[in-house]
Amino acid sequence: MVGPVLRAGAWQAVAGVSGVAVVVGGCGAAFPAAATVLFPVCFALLAGAAAFTLDEPASLVVDVTPTGPVRRTQIRAVALLAPLAAGVLVMLAAAVRGLALPWAAVGLALAGNVLLGFAVACVVRTRTGEPGATVGTAVVLVVMAPALVPQIARWVRTFPAPDSGGPSSDTVWWTVLAVCVVAIVVSVGGRNLPPWMSAVPVSRRRRSYPTVQPP
Amino acid sequence: MTATLTFGPPGAATGRATFTALAIRETRRFVLNPVFLFAVAFIVFALWAGPDAGVTDIDTANPYPAIFLGGFGMMATYWLTRSMRASEPVVGVTPVTRPARTAALCVVALVPFACGCLALLRFVQLIPVSSPLYGPFSPSARVAVLVGQIVMPALGGPLLGVALGRWVRFPGAAFVLFLVLYGWVSLVTILSFSHADSAPVAVLRLFAPFAFFTYTGDTGGVTAFRGSPWFFIGWQLALCAIAVLVALLRGAEGTVRSRIIRGLAIAGVAAVILLALAASGGFTHAVTA
Repeated sequence: MVGPVLRAGAWQAVAGVSGVAVVVGGCGAAFPAAATVLFPVCFALLAGAAAFTLDEPASLVVDVTPTGPVRRTQIRAVALLAPLAAGVLVMLAAAVRGLALPWAAVGLALAGNVLLGFAVACVVRTRTGEPGATVGTAVVLVVMAPALVPQIARWVRTFPAPDSGGPSSDTVWWTVLAVCVVAIVVSVGGRNLPPWMSAVPVSRRRRSYPTVQPP
Repeated sequence: MTATLTFGPPGAATGRATFTALAIRETRRFVLNPVFLFAVAFIVFALWAGPDAGVTDIDTANPYPAIFLGGFGMMATYWLTRSMRASEPVVGVTPVTRPARTAALCVVALVPFACGCLALLRFVQLIPVSSPLYGPFSPSARVAVLVGQIVMPALGGPLLGVALGRWVRFPGAAFVLFLVLYGWVSLVTILSFSHADSAPVAVLRLFAPFAFFTYTGDTGGVTAFRGSPWFFIGWQLALCAIAVLVALLRGAEGTVRSRIIRGLAIAGVAAVILLALAASGGFTHAVTA
Protein backbone atom coordinates (compact mmCIF):
# COMPACT_ATOMS: atom_id res chain seq x y z
CA MET A 1 0.00 0.00 0.00
CA VAL A 2 2.70 2.46 1.01
CA GLY A 3 4.76 1.78 -2.08
CA PRO A 4 2.06 2.47 -4.71
CA VAL A 5 0.84 5.60 -2.92
CA LEU A 6 4.36 6.94 -2.70
CA ARG A 7 5.16 6.00 -6.31
CA ALA A 8 2.12 7.93 -7.52
CA GLY A 9 3.34 11.14 -5.86
CA ALA A 10 4.52 14.14 -7.87
CA TRP A 11 8.13 13.44 -6.98
CA GLN A 12 9.54 15.23 -10.02
CA ALA A 13 7.78 18.44 -9.02
CA VAL A 14 8.72 18.16 -5.33
CA ALA A 15 12.33 17.25 -6.03
CA GLY A 16 12.69 19.76 -8.88
CA VAL A 17 11.38 22.75 -6.94
CA SER A 18 13.40 21.67 -3.87
CA GLY A 19 16.48 21.49 -6.09
CA VAL A 20 15.92 25.03 -7.38
CA ALA A 21 15.49 26.11 -3.74
CA VAL A 22 18.83 24.54 -2.84
CA VAL A 23 20.52 26.47 -5.67
CA VAL A 24 18.94 29.76 -4.56
CA GLY A 25 19.76 29.07 -0.89
CA GLY A 26 23.27 28.01 -1.86
CA CYS A 27 23.77 31.39 -3.51
CA GLY A 28 22.60 32.96 -0.24
CA ALA A 29 25.19 30.94 1.68
CA ALA A 30 27.90 31.77 -0.86
CA PHE A 31 27.15 35.50 -0.80
CA PRO A 32 26.37 36.37 2.85
CA ALA A 33 25.35 39.93 1.95
CA ALA A 34 22.42 38.54 -0.02
CA ALA A 35 21.48 35.81 2.47
CA THR A 36 18.57 37.67 4.05
CA VAL A 37 17.05 38.20 0.60
CA LEU A 38 17.75 34.78 -0.91
CA PHE A 39 16.85 32.63 2.12
CA PRO A 40 13.22 33.83 2.13
CA VAL A 41 13.08 33.06 -1.61
CA CYS A 42 14.53 29.60 -0.91
CA PHE A 43 12.01 28.93 1.87
CA ALA A 44 9.13 30.17 -0.32
CA LEU A 45 10.21 27.70 -3.00
CA LEU A 46 10.24 24.93 -0.39
CA ALA A 47 6.69 25.91 0.61
CA GLY A 48 5.78 25.64 -3.07
CA ALA A 49 7.44 22.21 -3.25
CA ALA A 50 5.45 21.05 -0.21
CA ALA A 51 2.24 22.07 -1.97
CA PHE A 52 2.86 19.42 -4.66
CA THR A 53 3.13 16.49 -2.24
CA LEU A 54 -0.60 15.71 -2.36
CA ASP A 55 -1.06 15.96 -6.15
CA GLU A 56 -3.00 12.96 -7.39
CA PRO A 57 -3.79 12.92 -11.15
CA ALA A 58 -5.93 9.80 -10.67
CA SER A 59 -7.92 11.27 -7.79
CA LEU A 60 -11.28 10.28 -9.29
CA VAL A 61 -10.27 6.66 -8.87
CA VAL A 62 -8.03 6.91 -5.82
CA ASP A 63 -10.54 8.86 -3.72
CA VAL A 64 -13.00 5.98 -3.76
CA THR A 65 -10.55 3.23 -2.86
CA PRO A 66 -10.62 1.70 0.62
CA THR A 67 -7.49 3.60 1.61
CA GLY A 68 -8.87 6.64 3.38
CA PRO A 69 -7.59 10.22 3.20
CA VAL A 70 -5.93 9.97 6.62
CA ARG A 71 -3.77 7.05 5.57
CA ARG A 72 -3.04 8.51 2.14
CA THR A 73 -2.06 11.87 3.62
CA GLN A 74 0.15 10.16 6.20
CA ILE A 75 1.98 8.29 3.46
CA ARG A 76 2.28 11.32 1.20
CA ALA A 77 3.60 13.39 4.12
CA VAL A 78 6.80 11.38 3.78
CA ALA A 79 7.51 13.48 0.68
CA LEU A 80 7.84 16.53 2.97
CA LEU A 81 11.22 15.15 3.93
CA ALA A 82 12.55 16.37 0.57
CA PRO A 83 11.89 20.11 1.09
CA LEU A 84 12.79 19.85 4.78
CA ALA A 85 16.09 18.15 3.96
CA ALA A 86 16.81 20.76 1.29
CA GLY A 87 16.20 23.55 3.81
CA VAL A 88 18.39 21.92 6.45
CA LEU A 89 21.12 21.48 3.83
CA VAL A 90 21.01 25.17 2.99
CA MET A 91 21.10 26.11 6.69
CA LEU A 92 24.08 23.82 7.26
CA ALA A 93 25.91 25.36 4.30
CA ALA A 94 25.22 28.83 5.68
CA ALA A 95 26.39 27.82 9.17
CA VAL A 96 29.60 26.34 7.74
CA ARG A 97 30.19 29.62 5.89
CA GLY A 98 29.89 31.41 9.25
CA LEU A 99 26.67 33.33 8.66
CA ALA A 100 25.37 34.92 11.86
CA LEU A 101 21.65 34.17 11.75
CA PRO A 102 19.25 33.32 14.60
CA TRP A 103 19.23 29.63 13.71
CA ALA A 104 16.34 28.59 15.96
CA ALA A 105 14.10 31.22 14.39
CA VAL A 106 15.34 30.30 10.90
CA GLY A 107 14.54 26.64 11.57
CA LEU A 108 11.08 27.62 12.77
CA ALA A 109 10.57 29.66 9.59
CA LEU A 110 11.62 26.66 7.49
CA ALA A 111 9.19 24.34 9.28
CA GLY A 112 6.45 26.95 9.07
CA ASN A 113 6.91 27.49 5.33
CA VAL A 114 6.86 23.77 4.53
CA LEU A 115 3.90 23.06 6.80
CA LEU A 116 1.97 26.04 5.39
CA GLY A 117 2.33 24.71 1.84
CA PHE A 118 1.28 21.24 2.95
CA ALA A 119 -1.67 22.42 5.06
CA VAL A 120 -3.15 24.59 2.32
CA ALA A 121 -2.68 21.69 -0.11
CA CYS A 122 -4.57 19.43 2.34
CA VAL A 123 -7.48 21.86 2.44
CA VAL A 124 -7.61 22.39 -1.34
CA ARG A 125 -7.16 18.64 -1.95
CA THR A 126 -10.75 18.20 -0.75
CA ARG A 127 -11.84 20.17 -3.82
CA THR A 128 -9.39 19.07 -6.51
CA GLY A 129 -7.04 16.20 -7.21
CA GLU A 130 -4.04 18.35 -8.13
CA PRO A 131 -3.83 21.36 -5.83
CA GLY A 132 -0.05 21.84 -6.25
CA ALA A 133 0.18 24.59 -8.86
CA THR A 134 -2.57 26.80 -7.48
CA VAL A 135 -1.62 26.33 -3.83
CA GLY A 136 2.08 26.70 -4.56
CA THR A 137 1.54 30.01 -6.33
CA ALA A 138 -0.80 31.34 -3.65
CA VAL A 139 1.46 30.31 -0.77
CA VAL A 140 4.55 31.70 -2.47
CA LEU A 141 2.88 35.07 -3.03
CA VAL A 142 1.64 35.23 0.57
CA VAL A 143 5.00 34.24 2.04
CA MET A 144 6.87 36.65 -0.24
CA ALA A 145 4.47 39.54 0.35
CA PRO A 146 6.69 41.28 2.98
CA ALA A 147 9.64 41.12 0.58
CA LEU A 148 7.67 42.28 -2.47
CA VAL A 149 5.85 45.09 -0.66
CA PRO A 150 8.04 46.65 2.04
CA GLN A 151 5.02 48.36 3.64
CA ILE A 152 3.73 44.91 4.69
CA ALA A 153 7.05 44.17 6.40
CA ARG A 154 6.27 46.89 8.93
CA TRP A 155 3.56 44.67 10.41
CA VAL A 156 4.48 41.13 9.40
CA ARG A 157 7.83 39.48 8.79
CA THR A 158 8.30 35.97 7.50
CA PHE A 159 12.07 35.70 7.86
CA PRO A 160 14.09 36.47 11.00
CA ALA A 161 16.65 38.93 9.65
CA PRO A 162 19.12 39.92 12.37
CA ASP A 163 19.33 43.53 13.59
CA SER A 164 16.42 44.69 11.47
CA GLY A 165 14.01 45.59 14.27
CA GLY A 166 10.28 45.40 13.68
CA PRO A 167 7.99 42.53 14.59
CA SER A 168 9.39 39.06 15.26
CA SER A 169 8.80 36.34 12.70
CA ASP A 170 8.53 33.75 15.49
CA THR A 171 5.07 34.98 16.48
CA VAL A 172 3.91 34.64 12.88
CA TRP A 173 5.27 31.13 12.44
CA TRP A 174 4.06 29.74 15.78
CA THR A 175 0.59 31.01 14.89
CA VAL A 176 0.85 29.56 11.38
CA LEU A 177 2.01 26.21 12.75
CA ALA A 178 -0.95 26.01 15.14
CA VAL A 179 -3.46 26.96 12.44
CA CYS A 180 -1.87 24.54 9.97
CA VAL A 181 -2.12 21.60 12.37
CA VAL A 182 -5.82 22.33 12.91
CA ALA A 183 -6.41 22.78 9.16
CA ILE A 184 -4.71 19.47 8.35
CA VAL A 185 -6.64 17.57 11.00
CA VAL A 186 -9.97 19.05 9.94
CA SER A 187 -9.44 18.69 6.18
CA VAL A 188 -8.08 15.14 6.34
CA GLY A 189 -10.83 14.13 8.73
CA GLY A 190 -13.23 15.66 6.24
CA ARG A 191 -15.85 16.29 8.89
CA ASN A 192 -16.19 19.91 9.75
CA LEU A 193 -15.42 21.43 6.40
CA PRO A 194 -18.04 23.96 5.42
CA PRO A 195 -20.10 22.79 2.44
CA TRP A 196 -18.60 25.38 0.07
CA MET A 197 -15.13 24.06 0.78
CA SER A 198 -15.70 20.58 -0.53
CA ALA A 199 -16.83 19.74 -4.04
CA VAL A 200 -16.30 16.04 -3.46
CA PRO A 201 -19.52 14.18 -2.68
CA VAL A 202 -19.73 12.90 0.87
CA SER A 203 -20.06 9.34 -0.41
CA ARG A 204 -16.62 9.64 -2.03
CA ARG A 205 -15.05 11.01 1.11
CA ARG A 206 -15.77 8.00 3.28
CA ARG A 207 -12.71 7.12 5.21
CA SER A 208 -13.19 3.39 5.30
CA TYR A 209 -15.11 0.81 3.37
CA PRO A 210 -16.26 -2.58 4.62
CA THR A 211 -13.71 -5.08 3.51
CA VAL A 212 -14.56 -8.59 2.46
CA GLN A 213 -12.56 -11.14 4.32
CA PRO A 214 -11.48 -14.19 2.33
CA PRO A 215 -13.06 -17.39 3.53
CA MET B 1 -25.03 20.28 -63.32
CA THR B 2 -24.81 23.61 -61.59
CA ALA B 3 -21.77 25.52 -60.53
CA THR B 4 -21.90 27.86 -57.57
CA LEU B 5 -19.57 30.79 -57.51
CA THR B 6 -18.92 32.38 -54.15
CA PHE B 7 -17.36 35.79 -53.83
CA GLY B 8 -16.12 35.56 -50.28
CA PRO B 9 -13.28 37.58 -48.82
CA PRO B 10 -9.77 36.57 -49.84
CA GLY B 11 -7.86 34.13 -47.58
CA ALA B 12 -5.66 36.78 -46.04
CA ALA B 13 -8.62 38.88 -44.98
CA THR B 14 -10.32 35.83 -43.48
CA GLY B 15 -7.17 34.93 -41.59
CA ARG B 16 -6.88 38.49 -40.29
CA ALA B 17 -10.49 38.48 -39.14
CA THR B 18 -10.01 35.14 -37.36
CA PHE B 19 -6.83 36.38 -35.73
CA THR B 20 -8.54 39.58 -34.55
CA ALA B 21 -11.42 37.60 -33.10
CA LEU B 22 -8.99 35.27 -31.32
CA ALA B 23 -6.94 38.16 -29.98
CA ILE B 24 -10.04 39.93 -28.64
CA ARG B 25 -11.20 36.73 -26.99
CA GLU B 26 -7.84 36.05 -25.35
CA THR B 27 -7.57 39.67 -24.24
CA ARG B 28 -10.98 39.46 -22.61
CA ARG B 29 -9.93 36.30 -20.76
CA PHE B 30 -6.68 37.95 -19.63
CA VAL B 31 -8.35 41.13 -18.41
CA LEU B 32 -10.75 39.05 -16.29
CA ASN B 33 -7.95 36.93 -14.79
CA PRO B 34 -8.00 37.45 -10.98
CA VAL B 35 -4.20 37.53 -10.73
CA PHE B 36 -3.99 40.34 -13.27
CA LEU B 37 -6.91 42.19 -11.68
CA PHE B 38 -5.16 42.00 -8.29
CA ALA B 39 -1.93 43.29 -9.84
CA VAL B 40 -3.70 46.24 -11.46
CA ALA B 41 -5.59 47.02 -8.25
CA PHE B 42 -2.36 47.05 -6.27
CA ILE B 43 -0.57 49.27 -8.80
CA VAL B 44 -3.50 51.71 -8.81
CA PHE B 45 -3.41 51.83 -5.00
CA ALA B 46 0.38 52.22 -4.83
CA LEU B 47 0.42 55.01 -7.41
CA TRP B 48 -2.60 56.71 -5.87
CA ALA B 49 -0.98 56.64 -2.41
CA GLY B 50 2.34 57.84 -3.82
CA PRO B 51 5.85 57.05 -2.58
CA ASP B 52 6.78 57.11 1.11
CA ALA B 53 8.06 60.34 2.58
CA GLY B 54 11.44 58.72 3.30
CA VAL B 55 12.23 57.78 -0.31
CA THR B 56 15.93 58.42 -0.97
CA ASP B 57 16.14 57.38 -4.63
CA ILE B 58 13.70 56.28 -7.33
CA ASP B 59 14.70 52.64 -7.14
CA THR B 60 13.04 52.27 -3.75
CA ALA B 61 9.75 53.46 -5.26
CA ASN B 62 9.47 52.09 -8.79
CA PRO B 63 9.86 48.27 -8.79
CA TYR B 64 6.12 47.66 -8.19
CA PRO B 65 5.05 47.78 -11.87
CA ALA B 66 7.81 45.30 -12.74
CA ILE B 67 6.76 42.94 -9.94
CA PHE B 68 3.01 43.21 -10.36
CA LEU B 69 2.43 43.98 -14.06
CA GLY B 70 5.49 42.00 -15.20
CA GLY B 71 5.74 39.17 -12.66
CA PHE B 72 2.06 38.66 -11.94
CA GLY B 73 1.30 39.28 -15.63
CA MET B 74 3.70 36.46 -16.47
CA MET B 75 1.81 34.09 -14.15
CA ALA B 76 -1.53 35.17 -15.62
CA THR B 77 -0.48 34.61 -19.25
CA TYR B 78 1.18 31.32 -18.29
CA TRP B 79 -2.13 30.04 -16.92
CA LEU B 80 -3.98 31.52 -19.88
CA THR B 81 -1.72 29.61 -22.26
CA ARG B 82 -1.88 26.37 -20.26
CA SER B 83 -5.65 26.53 -19.87
CA MET B 84 -6.08 25.41 -23.49
CA ARG B 85 -3.75 22.44 -23.08
CA ALA B 86 -6.52 20.03 -22.08
CA SER B 87 -8.61 20.92 -25.13
CA GLU B 88 -5.67 20.74 -27.54
CA PRO B 89 -6.95 17.55 -29.27
CA VAL B 90 -10.10 19.44 -30.23
CA VAL B 91 -8.58 22.85 -30.87
CA GLY B 92 -5.74 21.28 -32.82
CA VAL B 93 -8.01 20.20 -35.68
CA THR B 94 -9.48 23.66 -36.27
CA PRO B 95 -8.30 25.60 -39.35
CA VAL B 96 -6.35 28.03 -37.14
CA THR B 97 -2.74 26.98 -36.68
CA ARG B 98 -1.05 26.86 -33.30
CA PRO B 99 1.36 29.72 -34.12
CA ALA B 100 -1.67 31.88 -35.01
CA ARG B 101 -3.24 31.04 -31.65
CA THR B 102 0.06 31.79 -29.93
CA ALA B 103 0.29 35.15 -31.72
CA ALA B 104 -3.22 35.97 -30.51
CA LEU B 105 -2.08 35.15 -26.97
CA CYS B 106 0.95 37.43 -27.38
CA VAL B 107 -1.37 40.31 -28.29
CA VAL B 108 -2.76 40.31 -24.72
CA ALA B 109 0.61 41.68 -23.54
CA LEU B 110 -0.52 45.02 -24.95
CA VAL B 111 -2.89 45.38 -21.99
CA PRO B 112 -0.22 45.33 -19.24
CA PHE B 113 2.00 47.36 -21.60
CA ALA B 114 -0.68 50.07 -21.71
CA CYS B 115 -1.03 49.85 -17.92
CA GLY B 116 2.74 50.27 -17.67
CA CYS B 117 2.60 53.40 -19.84
CA LEU B 118 -0.08 54.87 -17.58
CA ALA B 119 1.96 53.92 -14.50
CA LEU B 120 4.96 55.70 -16.02
CA LEU B 121 2.96 58.89 -16.57
CA ARG B 122 1.67 58.81 -12.99
CA PHE B 123 5.18 58.11 -11.64
CA VAL B 124 6.59 61.11 -13.52
CA GLN B 125 3.76 63.18 -12.10
CA LEU B 126 4.64 62.02 -8.56
CA ILE B 127 8.41 62.32 -8.95
CA PRO B 128 9.26 64.76 -11.79
CA VAL B 129 12.24 63.97 -13.99
CA SER B 130 14.00 67.03 -12.61
CA SER B 131 14.01 65.55 -9.08
CA PRO B 132 17.41 64.82 -7.47
CA LEU B 133 16.09 61.35 -6.58
CA TYR B 134 17.14 60.22 -10.09
CA GLY B 135 20.83 60.76 -9.33
CA PRO B 136 23.43 62.05 -11.78
CA PHE B 137 21.70 60.84 -14.96
CA SER B 138 20.84 63.27 -17.76
CA PRO B 139 17.13 64.06 -18.28
CA SER B 140 16.89 61.72 -21.30
CA ALA B 141 18.67 58.91 -19.42
CA ARG B 142 16.25 59.39 -16.51
CA VAL B 143 13.33 58.78 -18.87
CA ALA B 144 15.14 55.72 -20.23
CA VAL B 145 15.62 54.38 -16.69
CA LEU B 146 11.89 54.74 -16.01
CA VAL B 147 10.88 53.15 -19.32
CA GLY B 148 13.23 50.23 -18.68
CA GLN B 149 11.97 49.73 -15.13
CA ILE B 150 8.23 50.38 -15.52
CA VAL B 151 7.07 49.92 -19.12
CA MET B 152 9.33 47.21 -20.55
CA PRO B 153 8.86 44.62 -17.76
CA ALA B 154 5.09 45.10 -18.11
CA LEU B 155 5.44 44.06 -21.76
CA GLY B 156 8.10 41.38 -21.39
CA GLY B 157 6.69 39.52 -18.37
CA PRO B 158 3.42 38.48 -20.05
CA LEU B 159 5.28 37.53 -23.25
CA LEU B 160 7.61 35.34 -21.20
CA GLY B 161 4.55 33.72 -19.62
CA VAL B 162 3.19 32.78 -23.06
CA ALA B 163 6.52 31.26 -24.12
CA LEU B 164 6.76 29.36 -20.84
CA GLY B 165 3.20 28.08 -21.15
CA ARG B 166 3.85 26.82 -24.69
CA TRP B 167 7.01 24.90 -23.83
CA VAL B 168 6.97 23.87 -20.17
CA ARG B 169 4.61 21.22 -18.87
CA PHE B 170 5.29 21.70 -15.15
CA PRO B 171 2.27 23.60 -13.75
CA GLY B 172 4.30 25.48 -11.12
CA ALA B 173 6.87 26.81 -13.60
CA ALA B 174 5.56 30.40 -13.45
CA PHE B 175 6.01 30.92 -9.73
CA VAL B 176 9.38 29.15 -9.77
CA LEU B 177 10.62 31.41 -12.58
CA PHE B 178 9.20 34.47 -10.83
CA LEU B 179 11.13 33.65 -7.64
CA VAL B 180 14.31 32.76 -9.52
CA LEU B 181 14.23 36.09 -11.41
CA TYR B 182 13.48 37.96 -8.18
CA GLY B 183 16.38 36.20 -6.46
CA TRP B 184 18.74 36.82 -9.38
CA VAL B 185 17.97 40.56 -9.61
CA SER B 186 18.36 40.88 -5.82
CA LEU B 187 21.66 38.98 -5.79
CA VAL B 188 23.32 40.92 -8.60
CA THR B 189 22.08 44.24 -7.22
CA ILE B 190 23.53 43.46 -3.78
CA LEU B 191 26.79 42.40 -5.44
CA SER B 192 26.83 45.74 -7.27
CA PHE B 193 26.75 47.63 -3.96
CA SER B 194 30.18 46.29 -3.03
CA HIS B 195 31.58 46.09 -6.60
CA ALA B 196 30.05 49.21 -8.12
CA ASP B 197 32.95 49.83 -10.53
CA SER B 198 33.38 46.23 -11.69
CA ALA B 199 32.59 45.61 -15.38
CA PRO B 200 31.76 41.87 -14.97
CA VAL B 201 29.37 42.67 -12.11
CA ALA B 202 27.76 45.36 -14.31
CA VAL B 203 27.23 42.76 -17.04
CA LEU B 204 25.68 40.38 -14.50
CA ARG B 205 23.42 43.14 -13.17
CA LEU B 206 22.18 43.99 -16.66
CA PHE B 207 21.84 40.30 -17.63
CA ALA B 208 18.26 40.33 -16.37
CA PRO B 209 14.87 41.51 -17.59
CA PHE B 210 14.91 44.21 -14.91
CA ALA B 211 17.81 46.17 -13.42
CA PHE B 212 18.31 48.85 -10.81
CA PHE B 213 20.36 51.87 -11.85
CA THR B 214 20.71 53.87 -8.62
CA TYR B 215 21.21 53.36 -4.91
CA THR B 216 21.73 55.48 -1.83
CA GLY B 217 25.00 54.67 -0.11
CA ASP B 218 26.24 55.52 3.37
CA THR B 219 27.86 58.69 2.07
CA GLY B 220 24.50 60.25 1.24
CA GLY B 221 23.54 61.34 -2.24
CA VAL B 222 22.30 59.10 -5.01
CA THR B 223 24.86 56.87 -6.73
CA ALA B 224 24.33 55.77 -10.35
CA PHE B 225 25.63 52.33 -11.37
CA ARG B 226 27.60 51.70 -14.55
CA GLY B 227 25.66 51.06 -17.75
CA SER B 228 23.54 52.72 -20.38
CA PRO B 229 19.78 52.84 -19.69
CA TRP B 230 19.03 53.39 -23.41
CA PHE B 231 20.88 50.28 -24.57
CA PHE B 232 19.30 48.38 -21.70
CA ILE B 233 15.89 49.13 -23.26
CA GLY B 234 17.24 47.68 -26.51
CA TRP B 235 18.32 44.54 -24.62
CA GLN B 236 14.84 44.27 -23.09
CA LEU B 237 13.20 44.66 -26.51
CA ALA B 238 15.45 41.88 -27.85
CA LEU B 239 14.35 39.66 -24.93
CA CYS B 240 10.70 40.41 -25.78
CA ALA B 241 11.34 39.44 -29.42
CA ILE B 242 13.03 36.22 -28.32
CA ALA B 243 10.09 35.38 -26.03
CA VAL B 244 7.59 35.89 -28.87
CA LEU B 245 9.64 33.86 -31.35
CA VAL B 246 10.21 31.01 -28.87
CA ALA B 247 6.46 30.92 -28.20
CA LEU B 248 5.65 30.93 -31.93
CA LEU B 249 8.15 28.14 -32.60
CA ARG B 250 5.92 25.63 -30.81
CA GLY B 251 3.84 23.92 -33.45
CA ALA B 252 5.33 25.87 -36.38
CA GLU B 253 6.07 23.83 -39.49
CA GLY B 254 7.72 24.21 -42.86
CA THR B 255 8.82 27.65 -44.02
CA VAL B 256 7.27 29.37 -41.01
CA ARG B 257 9.46 27.31 -38.69
CA SER B 258 12.64 28.06 -40.62
CA ARG B 259 11.74 31.77 -40.66
CA ILE B 260 11.20 31.76 -36.90
CA ILE B 261 14.50 30.00 -36.28
CA ARG B 262 16.26 32.56 -38.50
CA GLY B 263 14.53 35.35 -36.59
CA LEU B 264 15.61 33.79 -33.29
CA ALA B 265 19.23 33.74 -34.41
CA ILE B 266 19.07 37.41 -35.41
CA ALA B 267 17.32 38.39 -32.16
CA GLY B 268 19.89 36.41 -30.14
CA VAL B 269 22.82 38.16 -31.80
CA ALA B 270 21.11 41.53 -31.35
CA ALA B 271 20.52 40.76 -27.67
CA VAL B 272 24.18 39.93 -27.07
CA ILE B 273 25.34 43.11 -28.85
CA LEU B 274 22.84 45.27 -26.97
CA LEU B 275 23.83 43.73 -23.63
CA ALA B 276 27.49 44.47 -24.37
CA LEU B 277 26.60 48.05 -25.34
CA ALA B 278 24.43 48.47 -22.23
CA ALA B 279 27.26 47.29 -19.97
CA SER B 280 29.96 49.34 -21.69
CA GLY B 281 27.91 52.49 -22.34
CA GLY B 282 26.74 55.18 -19.94
CA PHE B 283 28.89 55.89 -16.92
CA THR B 284 32.11 53.89 -16.96
CA HIS B 285 32.19 53.89 -13.15
CA ALA B 286 29.75 54.55 -10.32
CA VAL B 287 28.98 58.27 -10.00
CA THR B 288 27.48 59.91 -6.92
CA ALA B 289 25.49 63.14 -7.14
